[in-house]
Amino acid sequence: MADKILQFEIVTPERVLVKENILQVTAPTVQGEITILPGHIPLVSVLASGVLEIARPDKSRTVISVSGGFIQVAGDKVVILADTAEKAEEIDLVRVEEAKARAVKTKNEAKTLDTRQFTALSAKISKELARSQAVKRWKKLNNLN
Amino acid sequence: MAKTRDIQRRIKSVNNTKKITRAMEMVAATKMRRATEAVLRTRAYADLSWRIALSLAANKKNGETVHPLLVRREKVKKVALILFSSNRGLCGSYNSAVINKAEQSIRKHEKQTGAEIDFFLVGKKGAAVYRYFGYNIAAEFKKEDTIAGLEASAPIASLAVGGFLQGDYDKILIAYTDYLSALKQVPRIKQILPISLDAPDEYLGFTENFSRAAAWPASEEFLFEPSPAAVLEEMLPRLVGMQIYQAMLEANASEHSARMAAMHQATAAAGDMASELTQHYNKSRQAAITAEIAEIAAGADAITAE
Repeated sequence: MADKILQFEIVTPERVLVKENILQVTAPTVQGEITILPGHIPLVSVLASGVLEIARPDKSRTVISVSGGFIQVAGDKVVILADTAEKAEEIDLVRVEEAKARAVKTKNEAKTLDTRQFTALSAKISKELARSQAVKRWKKLNNLN
Repeated sequence: MAKTRDIQRRIKSVNNTKKITRAMEMVAATKMRRATEAVLRTRAYADLSWRIALSLAANKKNGETVHPLLVRREKVKKVALILFSSNRGLCGSYNSAVINKAEQSIRKHEKQTGAEIDFFLVGKKGAAVYRYFGYNIAAEFKKEDTIAGLEASAPIASLAVGGFLQGDYDKILIAYTDYLSALKQVPRIKQILPISLDAPDEYLGFTENFSRAAAWPASEEFLFEPSPAAVLEEMLPRLVGMQIYQAMLEANASEHSARMAAMHQATAAAGDMASELTQHYNKSRQAAITAEIAEIAAGADAITAE
């Protein structure tokens, strides 16, 4: 079984979120979701914001929300450089929904946004969306309400 | 008595200096704590992004479109060196160490090609490169004592990447002080553009625990999704920016540590000096008293003799 393992690492500028051996990872790229299993060909791709899921050898799964970044697969190493990343169980759904609503409201109300502010806001909205999706997926996975 | 008063005055001034250096040590210590936290937080990310950048550089020989930031130029006419120094002195050999490192590296690797060197300074003390070595200074950036975030390095990064792509510069180096611990900081020089494994080891950030061979399985060819151009276009400027940002953080943490150490030494030296002066003072006071007694005794003797 030794060759059926991926050395997985997800790092953000803030911290090293996950560094462990896993069986598979499903990640959102700009071209759609991809699943990486051991023995994948070397790959470099750009991550979109969305939900990332990893499966461990002991069948447990972890759901992580990411907001953009890069993924590199080389040999049995999978490295993700994420702009931000959070485990679903660490996210507070109520606050995420609030934050999303706030960002959408600012975006709709503001008439004189320059391009930079607009991109920043859009990124914020998609980040919050990814976080709420991650929480929902995690709850479904664990059969919580 | 004049002598003892002089000594007294000196003791006072030494003690005042000691108070100041101790205060500066405390200030540096708080700043260092914050700077150290920041540098350690992003280090894993920065190291990994550098490894990935190098692995992409190693991967370029597959005949596919190569990104301009990975292309090594045959003729290096102009080199830009971004030097991270401090704004103020009183930090021991912090500035001179990094400036000497930059000078040595230039002499070793760049001088024989006859390349022209332009300096980009971050921090005022870097201006010494012009004073001592006569290098041209192309730009000077303001250095903040606390670094807000990735935006802090954005103007430098865009200038570096822009200057390289436009062909103003054929090579971009950064010189900064690597923060190893509160007691140990090492000046380093790194080639950030082009990202190329053809550069000397010294330039690629290779150390004992990160060798050239370990950089990444160089023979592998990566599949890029959506396309090499799209991925690299997005990725490389970010990776380069991250390196500059990390260098900034490392330099900042090093500066505050160096200042703290320097001020700690100064405080200790002031303490030594004060106690030495106090001894002198006591001796000269005693000497004065003894002399006075001797005079009185001599005077008394003279009177009784009559």
